[in-house]
Amino acid sequence: MDVITNLASGFEHALTWSNLLYCAIGCVIGTLIGLLPGLGPLATISLLLPLTYSIPVDGALIMLAGIYYGAQYGDSVSAITMKIPHASSIVACIDGYQMTLKGRTGLALFTAGVSSFIGGTVAIVVLAFLAPLLGQVAFLFGPAEYFALMLLGFVCVSLVTTGSLLNGLAMCLLGVLLGQIGTDLESGTLRFTLGLAPLADGVSVVSVALGCFGIAEICRNLDAREERTPFNGKIHLMPSWPEFKRILPSALRGSAVGSLLGILPGGGPTIAQFAAYAIDKKVSKYRHEIGSGSIEGVAGQAAADEAAARTSFIPLMSIGIPENAVMALMMAAFIMKGIQPGPNMIAKHPDLFWGLVASMWIGNCFLLILNVPLVRFWLSLFKIPYSVLFPSILFFCCVGTYSVNNNLDDVLITAGFGLLGYVLMRLSLDPAPLMLGFILGPMLEENFRRAMLLGRGSFTVFVTQPISATLLGFIAVLIGVQIAYAVMGIRTHRSKTSDVERPVQTTAPAAIIKAPGL
Amino acid sequence: MASLTRRGLGVLALGGSLTLGASLALGGGAQAQAAWPARTVSIIVPYSAGGATDILARKVAEGLSGALGKTVVVDNRPGAGGTLGTALAARAKPDGYTLFLGQVSSHGIAPNLYTELRYDPVKSFVPIVFIETIPNILAVNKTLPINSVDELIAYAKAHPDALNFASSGTGASTHLSGEMFKAFTGISMTHVPFHGSAQALVSVMGGQTQMIFDNMPSVYPYVTAGNLKALAVTTLKRSPQAPDIPTLAEATKSADLSRYDVSAWFGLFAPADTPRPIVDRVNAAVNAMLKEPGFAKFIVETGGVPEGGTPEDLGRFADSELKKWKTVIEQAGVPKQ
Repeated sequence: MDVITNLASGFEHALTWSNLLYCAIGCVIGTLIGLLPGLGPLATISLLLPLTYSIPVDGALIMLAGIYYGAQYGDSVSAITMKIPHASSIVACIDGYQMTLKGRTGLALFTAGVSSFIGGTVAIVVLAFLAPLLGQVAFLFGPAEYFALMLLGFVCVSLVTTGSLLNGLAMCLLGVLLGQIGTDLESGTLRFTLGLAPLADGVSVVSVALGCFGIAEICRNLDAREERTPFNGKIHLMPSWPEFKRILPSALRGSAVGSLLGILPGGGPTIAQFAAYAIDKKVSKYRHEIGSGSIEGVAGQAAADEAAARTSFIPLMSIGIPENAVMALMMAAFIMKGIQPGPNMIAKHPDLFWGLVASMWIGNCFLLILNVPLVRFWLSLFKIPYSVLFPSILFFCCVGTYSVNNNLDDVLITAGFGLLGYVLMRLSLDPAPLMLGFILGPMLEENFRRAMLLGRGSFTVFVTQPISATLLGFIAVLIGVQIAYAVMGIRTHRSKTSDVERPVQTTAPAAIIKAPGL
Repeated sequence: MASLTRRGLGVLALGGSLTLGASLALGGGAQAQAAWPARTVSIIVPYSAGGATDILARKVAEGLSGALGKTVVVDNRPGAGGTLGTALAARAKPDGYTLFLGQVSSHGIAPNLYTELRYDPVKSFVPIVFIETIPNILAVNKTLPINSVDELIAYAKAHPDALNFASSGTGASTHLSGEMFKAFTGISMTHVPFHGSAQALVSVMGGQTQMIFDNMPSVYPYVTAGNLKALAVTTLKRSPQAPDIPTLAEATKSADLSRYDVSAWFGLFAPADTPRPIVDRVNAAVNAMLKEPGFAKFIVETGGVPEGGTPEDLGRFADSELKKWKTVIEQAGVPKQ
């Protein structure tokens, strides 16, 4: 088999001492930035880019890739333990943090670590066997298809909402509005910038996520007068067998979703986590527990974001298209090394591609060790008293937001979102749907308008394309089924409660009839 | 834990050092000149790391570090279509420790496109040295029955309103090249903007849009691989990297494109009032670099044409660009921002 011989040559490249070292360095740096609140792979890689000038190209790629997927691996840790998310672990703030509040931090971390391992493994298999083929998928997705996909995401909003659905929808809309801030792509008009230059590019997802979750949570902790120590020294990492069995199906579902979304330009880990969470909430055996600290809520998203991080190399390596900012940096590293990324990267530089695939496998094992048995050592950080820990977390949040654009205004914007997040928390409004709206809203709008441009103002573009028509049909069925369930639910509810409910039902129309007379 | 904190601080220190060059105001004036450069020099790039401007800046920084004997770093200041970082460079202390990698956007398009610009492309900067020009390529989807610019014009006239041209964003040279093409040939086509040229290229290859004017380095690999058909380059001279692709003027019989000349270009600038000896020294260093085989090869491989020359050459060229884009933007009716 071709793949096997290719993989064998890949391992030959990846298993040299120097490349093993680069892989290990990448994984360690990645894990650290994943653990530290606020710091992301983008800023780290752009800082380390100059260091790769003096490293051979395969080593540089292996190291930078290690930083990227390593950061996605450990990024759930700060979300689970402190409710401080990275852009790709926003969902971990829901169930993961709930588990921490229940004293099950160790289990949550183990779940995240093992699920990331599973997600990584599945994605590597996809990468090895299907990469050249899947690269072509990008060409099938035009504006209409992306619009339908984003719409599907919005339909899932009810699934990431804890508490009242109406509140969830309101928060989602608020997120969409926040996403509108900045320069309109089509006309170049500034929208909702209040005349402030720093808002011309909109607000970054890092600012919103750190503000609404992390900073708000810190404020709430400071607010609560009682003394709280997060870890009393004992962290039970190993789950029981029945608990372990619950990880697997979710992690596999997450891996599949993540692998798929990772391939689409514009998709990637940030969206994959929401998709995985929503699917678990719909099909998991334990779906009623999701939202209040269940294993599934952590496993699916951790696997999905890790899988997506790795399959996002597919568009770069197979068709030369960087699908997100980190991949654009990788591409810059190639160009500086004299390699022109393009459609035939895998064919032209097989050693590079297969070396990368093999190194990912090795990196996966490194990361499992770094994240599962060693995580208790990382966590001793949180034994520091809050009076020291909180300022340092805020400090890292500032560094993290600053480093995205080297811009102080971004730090102030994050602080502003901290305030918003705190107010929302006080009002018991859940920021997760806000994040979903914020991420999907601009993409939905952009692709909708692009599709309308291409369709010369006719809505038929959405149904004449097979992929978008299928997705829209699926959405219609989904909504139809929901309505049918709701109607049937009301009927059975009515027939069960006959006497008690009646007076209420008769008074309601009476009140309406009365109203005009008043 | 200790190692964790230290690593974090290391990352921080690294981040800090990149911006120190721009923010620290040391020395200056006549005494500092003799010893220039006494410390790190930074080149402000108004885009994020990883783009074409950034890659060139890093190559230039690498070369200048050797020539000047002090570290030269790249300071990425993205935002507001590049105008944020440009304004920052314009306001920096003119002591030679802040340089700026100017391009077609900062010194040609943006001043004509944005109403509230916080810099003056002529008064806020002194030109140092012209580095390179990069042509745009007009490329079409390979399944279209179009093999030349004339066929494209005929197709557009036979199928009015059928063509869409993708661009890397409203107001980018990739967009304005298309608008200029419309103005010169009188055909109609719809502009479909994307975020960056990668997405735009995918849409041309996927067939959702039909054509694109894009910078040579990002589009040429797809031309050589047969994914896209290149019809012409947008400059008056052919590209040394792809001499078989004709210029728009050569390729078009059905319209007069002899004055159609669009390129992405890069030149090094410094804040106004930067001492002339410093300007001359950087100019000499870059001119020497352009003659080095390694650097020249890098420029040609990334689709560019090495330029060089005196500071005044760059100044005159930037002036002509400013005038050209003013006309294009007015003719195309692109709304000011």
